[in-house]
Amino acid sequence: MSPRIGVTGVGWSGFTPTTAGRSYKELMFEAASAAYLDAGLDPRTDVDSFVCASEDLEEGTSIFDEYVPDQLGAVQRPVQTVASDGLFAVATALMLIRSGAANVVAVEAHSKASDILTPGRVDAFALDPVLNRPLGVPALALAGLEMRRYLHASGRTVEQCADVATRNRDQARSNRRASFADVDGDDAPLFDPLTTHQAARSADGCVVIVLASEDRTDGRPTVWMDGIGWSQDAPSVESRDWSRAVAAERAAATAFAQADVGPADIDTAEVDDTFAYKQLQHLDALGLAELDPASVNRSGGAIGEGYLHEANGLARTLAAVEQLRAGDGRAAVVQSWRGVPSTSAAVAVLRMDR
Amino acid sequence: MTVRRIEGELPVAFRYTPGVGNTAFFEALRDRGTFLGSRCADCGVTYLPARIFCERCLAGLVPDTECGPEGTVESWTVARQDVDGRPLDPPVTFALVRLDGADTVLLHRLLGTADIGGRVRAVLRPERTASILDLQGFEPV
Ligand SMILES: [Zn+2]
Repeated sequence: MSPRIGVTGVGWSGFTPTTAGRSYKELMFEAASAAYLDAGLDPRTDVDSFVCASEDLEEGTSIFDEYVPDQLGAVQRPVQTVASDGLFAVATALMLIRSGAANVVAVEAHSKASDILTPGRVDAFALDPVLNRPLGVPALALAGLEMRRYLHASGRTVEQCADVATRNRDQARSNRRASFADVDGDDAPLFDPLTTHQAARSADGCVVIVLASEDRTDGRPTVWMDGIGWSQDAPSVESRDWSRAVAAERAAATAFAQADVGPADIDTAEVDDTFAYKQLQHLDALGLAELDPASVNRSGGAIGEGYLHEANGLARTLAAVEQLRAGDGRAAVVQSWRGVPSTSAAVAVLRMDR
Repeated sequence: MTVRRIEGELPVAFRYTPGVGNTAFFEALRDRGTFLGSRCADCGVTYLPARIFCERCLAGLVPDTECGPEGTVESWTVARQDVDGRPLDPPVTFALVRLDGADTVLLHRLLGTADIGGRVRAVLRPERTASILDLQGFEPV
């Protein structure tokens, strides 16, 4: 096994429905400062490379990657942006460290969703412009279509999905980052059979995670990032698999193999629950359908914390790191999905030795 | 602080090239009212609309396989709001329909009621312009 890579610092800001008055740069500065403090390093001299995750249309700025260095301490330093969920940026950071190009890497992703005035238009613009967009179909309708097909294929029920949403909100009560624990369960149909109760709501926030090669962890107790994988199913609405989360299955196989663990070794899981049915589908994909529900999304997931767009994967990672540091298990799996209409997923395996 | 919000918008426009495969599909739909796909014999998969490559093995394909006009509902949902979140009255039902002979689905309107496994038939507009909207949707058989 090659030298391990540790999570040496985590920081966050926001995790609230709005962050009025504060800019995305200020949210990033706050989260980054906390992460560097946690890692005990000076970003201007001790971080070798910076990796962000963002989408231009969600930021309202073209070539948005040009706007990230100053608030991270990355001015005149190696910095890049991955146009995907933050867990894909973690994968890039691991490659930088494993290849020897860097020893310490900071990873950032954020959401300033409250500034997006026409989110439905942004989502609809992600649909195929020739075959799908002319129909005027909201991108969220794809979740209703997928949920019905998934229930049909898996034998799971609408009630089981509603239970996931209720449990995640309950588990969110003990999480100081969770703004949506007390959001009332609204059974109004969103896109049948999906209900508002079973969908995460947008939030603002930022997460920064510092990763370091084993020799830079100074022998401190460390959460190790032992495996990571990512994949994509056929992207087209026409040819994708509508029953299974194929990308999550593939990503999990890679991450588990790298970490040399299996689903039976996992103590805690933080998985994508953008919609309640996705949590069940993703657990199926990870081979964790039998994991004690109390050990799944102990943070409350996105249903409890809010949907943080490209920061969702880092929010799940942050929760898993905190759980392992607190002694709530020795091995965690983290999984993210890029939301409708995407078919991309990433999976990471984290461990803490005791 | 007095200024808390600065608004902006992005008035940009695009043109999309449907490509060889989609164009063959749209022209068959417009001119003959048929659904043209392409089959990868090696993979045993028929793609609809037609494509000039197989996403599984990356072989070159030609538009050569007619599908439908009847098919089976794979899933459906009801949209009660449009892309801007405004209420749709009446609501619109969207379905994934696998036309007979195809291994892929088409996303379009469901004109009526049908559950998963239900049989439906394509409803074409009399005046067609080589677009996905030449299809009005699917109605239960
Ligand atoms: Zn093929």
